[in-house]
Amino acid sequence: MTSLAWASLRHRATAFTATFVSVLLGAALIGAFATLAQTGMGDVSADDAETLRIMGIVVGSWGSAIVLFSVASTLGITVRQRAEEIGLLRVVGATPRQARRLVLAEAAAVTGLGAVLGALLAWPAGLVLLALLRNGGMVSGTVEYAGGPAALAVTVALVVLTGLVAAAVTARRSTTGPATLAIAEAASGTARMRWWRVLLGLLLIGYGVAMAVVTITVTAHDSDPYASMSTSGSSCILVAVGLATLSPVLLRWLSSACAPAVGRTGVVGWLAAYNTSRRSHLLGAVLAPVIVLTSGAVGVLMLVGIDHRTIGAGHPEGRTINLLNNLITGMMVVFAAVVVVNAFAAVVAGRRAELQRLRLLGATPSQVERSVLAEAAIVAGIGVLLGLLASLATVVPFAVARDEGPVPDGQLWLPVVVVVAATGLTLLSARSAVRRLGPLTGAVR
Amino acid sequence: MDTHAALEVTGLAHTYGDGPNAVPALAGVDLSFARGTFTAVMGPSGSGKSTFLNCAAGLERPTAGRVVVDGRDVTDDDEDARTRLRRERLGFVFQGFHLLPYLTAEQNVGLPLRLAGRRSDRTRVRELLARVGLGDRAHHLPTALSGGQQQRVAIARALVTAPAVLLADEPTGALDTTTAHEVLALLRDSVDTLGQTIVMVTHDPVAAAYADSVVFLVDGRVAGRMDRPTADAVAGQLAHLDQLTRVAS
Repeated sequence: MTSLAWASLRHRATAFTATFVSVLLGAALIGAFATLAQTGMGDVSADDAETLRIMGIVVGSWGSAIVLFSVASTLGITVRQRAEEIGLLRVVGATPRQARRLVLAEAAAVTGLGAVLGALLAWPAGLVLLALLRNGGMVSGTVEYAGGPAALAVTVALVVLTGLVAAAVTARRSTTGPATLAIAEAASGTARMRWWRVLLGLLLIGYGVAMAVVTITVTAHDSDPYASMSTSGSSCILVAVGLATLSPVLLRWLSSACAPAVGRTGVVGWLAAYNTSRRSHLLGAVLAPVIVLTSGAVGVLMLVGIDHRTIGAGHPEGRTINLLNNLITGMMVVFAAVVVVNAFAAVVAGRRAELQRLRLLGATPSQVERSVLAEAAIVAGIGVLLGLLASLATVVPFAVARDEGPVPDGQLWLPVVVVVAATGLTLLSARSAVRRLGPLTGAVR
Repeated sequence: MDTHAALEVTGLAHTYGDGPNAVPALAGVDLSFARGTFTAVMGPSGSGKSTFLNCAAGLERPTAGRVVVDGRDVTDDDEDARTRLRRERLGFVFQGFHLLPYLTAEQNVGLPLRLAGRRSDRTRVRELLARVGLGDRAHHLPTALSGGQQQRVAIARALVTAPAVLLADEPTGALDTTTAHEVLALLRDSVDTLGQTIVMVTHDPVAAAYADSVVFLVDGRVAGRMDRPTADAVAGQLAHLDQLTRVAS
């Protein structure tokens, strides 16, 4: 089984490289903050311990949630695109259990390798992070870096475990039912989302909206000016991750809705509209990080802006909190961007045969490329729309709490910048993914 | 009336690799396919029949020789011109069907028209789907169709541009006997009623028996020809070819 797994990994280098990079970066991020938490548990003053613990645990766990979600979705694409091969294995006599073990062995190899290397990067990253905190005066200069094997081991275990759970869930789906060779193309978007995924998505959105409501009705009137931030700050991310959880079904609905209009723009848009709506489960994995990226960047940066305008600039606690906020956002945005690029690479790599088929039927190389770009444009459009919607869950209640009214007094250019950047990123990653395929000529059977 | 053939190749040669590792797949093939004829190209594995089809389709560039489609020499065409050739003058039917999984039967059939920048002609698409017996399946996605039905959609798609030549590569290779018969009967019918020209690569004597004539390739050369083939006669000839190749190698 192991040698088969390695052979299969080599065979699908692009898709697995995408997963590997996500895992590597994810482990490096989570690990860096885990070392801070570990440092905070060491021999430091109570105040420093508090700061480091908040940093390590709060920021680290937010980062983890996002990272784990992305790893799960990237790994999910690579596993799902192999439905045909899994079908073949089962036809030649592999039991569902054996097929699942193969998928798990591959996932373990990729995430294990990525997580260990990522954890090794996390150690110096944690060191740099602590130096930043010391220089910023947020912890005393005497705090010694104490990140070590414990923090890194927890990180590796956490990342590998998520990877395995994600692989197991997807593998189970592709191995239930009778053995058949015909499932590859069955990969059209009719597969229904599992009930627990729908429930999770709705719960996250509900929680985010509830926190927004609590901010306006309760914490806005609290004597601590930062109470309203602590309730509203994460709302945009909660709602965004909730929407991202539901991304395949949202993509199906929204792209079906715009299909007739896009389809009239010509064959390129027409192909793209049908591909996004009928195979939304694949591009859903690209949509998810676009939503989180947009919402996180707009929501948190505007939150920081509102705070700065109202009281934060002169408030000592405000400085720490806003540094934290900027750190979370920066981390999340970089990571989501990497995931967008990776997810597109994985999706397009899995579509080589189909794009080649289009060429064979008489599509020019430019038509093929433009149709993938049009898909990216549809995904980006829907993603930034949902992302902006999710960001309202933080921006509106916090602006109300700080007496700016539902529309903040400044920074209204920010959403525009984020939308342009997120769309540009999505289009560029689509273009690089399709170019990486090389010429789609030659014989096909 | 002009009398040129639908497809004509002269001195067609193709070599894979170069230097000492060069493998000649085609070593000078001269063939002419008259309009409205159905020709099967047969031969043992490695005889060059797939390479022949790929060169005719503009998917591979021949090392030497000419390819003339509908009176026009397309050998030196660039990639864009080849693409236009494929979508306007050629139709394809493959062993693996090659439908786009996210388009319905009707949309798949209309795709070559759309790629060529024309509007999908709904009447024509419907007419072709009805012709292949799938008038009631127009809005089904490929996953909801059986293998035979998918291949029939592929035939309708290959016919939609009224191509000069329909190239078929083992079109029944993935189908059972009954379904294969339906598919071959459809191909035969398009020759008889629409005057379609078909060139079909196959290894199956039964499939070849639907053609007007059979061309046998051995080691990249034309080794024989049979008109009005029957399955038995083709099978006999093939056994003979196998002996020829064994002697040769």
